[in-house]
Amino acid sequence: MNHNSRKVAAEVKNLTKEYGARGFLTQVLKGIELTVYRHDFIAIMGPSGSGKTTLLNLLSTIDKPTQGTVILDGQDITRMSNKELSALRRDKIGFIFQDYNLLDTMTLEDNIALPLSLNGVPGKDCVQQVQEKAAMFGLKEHLKKYPYQLSGGQKQRGAACRALITGPEIIFADEPTGALDSKSGRELLECLRAVNENGQATILMVTHDPFCASYAKDVYLLADGRITCRISRGADRKEFYDRIIDVQATLGGDFS
Amino acid sequence: MSMAKLAFRNFKSSLRHYLILILSLAFSVMILFHFQTLLYSSGFDVLGTRNKEYIELLIQMTSFVLGCFMFFFIWYSTNVFLTRRKREIGIYVFMGLSNEQIGQMYLIEAILIGAAAWALGLGFGTLGTGLFQMILRKLSDLAVEIQFTPGLRPVLTTTLVYGMIYLVFMAKGYIDIVRSSVLSMISAAKQNEYVQQKQGWLATKAVLGTALLVTGYYLACKEGRDSVMGNALLAVILVTGGVYLLFGGMIPAGFQALAGNKRFLYRGQRILWVNSFIFRLRRNYRTYAIVCILMLCSVTTLATGFALKGRYETIVQFENTYTFQLLSSRDDLEGPARELIEEHSEILFDARLSLLYLDQSVLEADAYYSRFGILAYSQVKQLAQRTGLEFPFQELAEDEVIKASHQYLLSMITAREDVDIRIHGTTYHQIQDTSIPYLGYLQESSGYYIVNDQAYERLRSLGEEVYVYNYRIQDTENFAKIRDRLDQLVENTPENKTARIAMDPNSNELDWVKMLYTICIFLFQVFVLAGGSIMFMKLSHDTWEERERSQVILKLGFDPGLLKRAAAAELGTAYGLTFLVMAISSVFSVRALGNMMFTDLTAVNLVSAGVVFGILLIWYLLSVQAYGQGYRKNEKR
Ligand SMILES: Nc1ncnc2c1ncn2[C@@H]1O[C@H](COP(=O)(O)OP(=O)(O)OP(=O)(O)O)[C@@H](O)[C@H]1O
Ligand SMILES: [Mg+2]
Repeated sequence: MNHNSRKVAAEVKNLTKEYGARGFLTQVLKGIELTVYRHDFIAIMGPSGSGKTTLLNLLSTIDKPTQGTVILDGQDITRMSNKELSALRRDKIGFIFQDYNLLDTMTLEDNIALPLSLNGVPGKDCVQQVQEKAAMFGLKEHLKKYPYQLSGGQKQRGAACRALITGPEIIFADEPTGALDSKSGRELLECLRAVNENGQATILMVTHDPFCASYAKDVYLLADGRITCRISRGADRKEFYDRIIDVQATLGGDFS
Repeated sequence: MSMAKLAFRNFKSSLRHYLILILSLAFSVMILFHFQTLLYSSGFDVLGTRNKEYIELLIQMTSFVLGCFMFFFIWYSTNVFLTRRKREIGIYVFMGLSNEQIGQMYLIEAILIGAAAWALGLGFGTLGTGLFQMILRKLSDLAVEIQFTPGLRPVLTTTLVYGMIYLVFMAKGYIDIVRSSVLSMISAAKQNEYVQQKQGWLATKAVLGTALLVTGYYLACKEGRDSVMGNALLAVILVTGGVYLLFGGMIPAGFQALAGNKRFLYRGQRILWVNSFIFRLRRNYRTYAIVCILMLCSVTTLATGFALKGRYETIVQFENTYTFQLLSSRDDLEGPARELIEEHSEILFDARLSLLYLDQSVLEADAYYSRFGILAYSQVKQLAQRTGLEFPFQELAEDEVIKASHQYLLSMITAREDVDIRIHGTTYHQIQDTSIPYLGYLQESSGYYIVNDQAYERLRSLGEEVYVYNYRIQDTENFAKIRDRLDQLVENTPENKTARIAMDPNSNELDWVKMLYTICIFLFQVFVLAGGSIMFMKLSHDTWEERERSQVILKLGFDPGLLKRAAAAELGTAYGLTFLVMAISSVFSVRALGNMMFTDLTAVNLVSAGVVFGILLIWYLLSVQAYGQGYRKNEKR
């Protein structure tokens, strides 16, 4: 595929992140270079502690890098004020958190409508859009339930639904299937793929599960604070999955 | 020993968290200390022995109310603390500490907190006595001066009572921890609860609550003669229950209905705070109800205080309408008495009228007085002209009477108009009951009826007619001299029945009312601070739980200002609803009070509710502030 002909969604240059106090610094990310184009569906894989969540947080403006630049939507987020970042997050970015992060104080319907309502979308439109998205994620009959009345898979789909309701240009997902059984996981991934293929969304997903990663178009392997390898998908998902397993085995990382 | 060290370190590091608990405990210590100081102060000495019984009853009642209040308050605050602490020190089970050890840690912390609160409370108490006096003096010059002598007794009693109550709840906390399962220890505050409640059950509670409230309000304001006391007690119980059910039924049902209407709900941050309010309401409705009742008590006591103050002033005026009154069967004392008084003082006004005393046996009305007097309409009218008193009455028909009563401080008989009385077989219709002091002090001790002049003539043969000579003097410093001279005059007319009434303008006979007033203001202070701090504690605790939720909103890209606005709206709803229910209820409770005092207390009600509103507003602002701070702390994490 000719990447140059497509618009850039996010660009990362020499991204470094250190944690800890003076004298006890650990460098988690050591100069990451990454370009994400519109309509990409990227999975980032790597062993536990390799800095996947850190990278995602930096990309998604939740955290700030020690060094380097992150360009989202043409703007350098390391130079933006907190207020501008908030606005960017609200308008352009969707999050799917590992632990759902649905609010237990309200029904699933209200949870999904939350970003719209907070953005000032009129109630009538909110209701309609919630209905549409819920239908897409197979949540229609669960809308009136509270999070504690939902299964893990339903919650995760609900969280995805909430992330997508505002029609974000780029979606960040941290281990979206981490807490799900394989069936629920598959359902969610199908949903994400549909959004990526039919809609206009760019997806960046962190996972350590090769099966999950095989739904993406590209897989990046993260190890020792650097991106060590990139695998692109061909026509067949099964074949892609096998390839990921192979690369993993040759690199010999601990991936689980 | 290491356990103690650990506990002490915990105590020091999380002093900020404990601050609310310590302050509220210190507050209850302070209240108790104030009351004890009041008891042992010289304020009571002023009152003399005259009203001792009355005051002792008052003190006992107040002590009981305070005791109950302290008990619940300490219970409440230690409980909130326990739930929270359990989760935090519960972590130590992972380090292999046994429940007993964790319990001991809790005990040590609790002792440190209790001691800190005790010291702080006494400290504040000592400083606060001055403040309390200042407030009293601001509110009126009426209050009893508390000569604050730093005695040991208030300190000892306070320490003893507080110590005992606190120990009980400390032990309770310890037992609670020892008996807890590991799981409940770690997830003490994090239980999934049903948020939405069954509409049917809510509706039942709503209907029942409304019925209780309406009945309670009705009973409170119902006029009656013998039933007033019983009605008032019943009303208190019904309104308490009603408020409870209102917050447990009607309000959640209403808000759930609102949340069901998505077009209403999806409007900016409304989606956040309405849902959050419903979520909290399930656990907090008891708190709101208690605070509402406490605030209702505070408004009612403040209104009582204000009304008593006003009434005290009118009673003093009433009794001092005339400085001297002579009561005699002779009709020729006017000249000699006037001469005698004028030797020492100018006479502001004087007035004579005749009065017919009838025995109780000819009257068939309430048997409150053993004797009652009949006055003739035109004579009273004349007297009013001479003395400048009001006389707003039309000419009476033959069968009409106006009752002239005294100023009541409080009366359990609230039905006063449109009653029929029978005098010697004839029925008279009582068209009005007035408390204009035509007879001055005399009107305090007996009941009087003003009748039509013809009726007076007819009744004349039934009783004993006496003449009343009334004088108001200018130079009050000669009061004693004139009194003695008048006594001589009375002694010199032995063949006739003559009596002398003298009102010392400087007497302190009514000082017990001042005491009552002082206690009212004191109780008001207690209720309003208690209500406010319970609300504040509960809501601060909620804020602390809110952390994770606010984190989610922030991650979604919404700014902290939005969270703060939502919190302000939610807190405002909680405080506002509590105030609203309280204000509506207070209309009835103060009206009941007004009925017993025979005045319209609407103005007093407005002022008292206004004061409580102001204080709640301060608590509300503090809560919003605390939320902001809690949030900032989250950000640092
Ligand atoms: N706030 C922090 N302070 C200090 N160190 C941190 C912080 N957050 C993460 N780390 C460290 O940075 C490293 C990378 O963490 P990160 O959460 O990005 O790993 P991950 O790849 O997401 O792992 P996993 O697959 O287990 O989720 C880890 O060694 C972690 O201990
Ligand atoms: Mg991670």
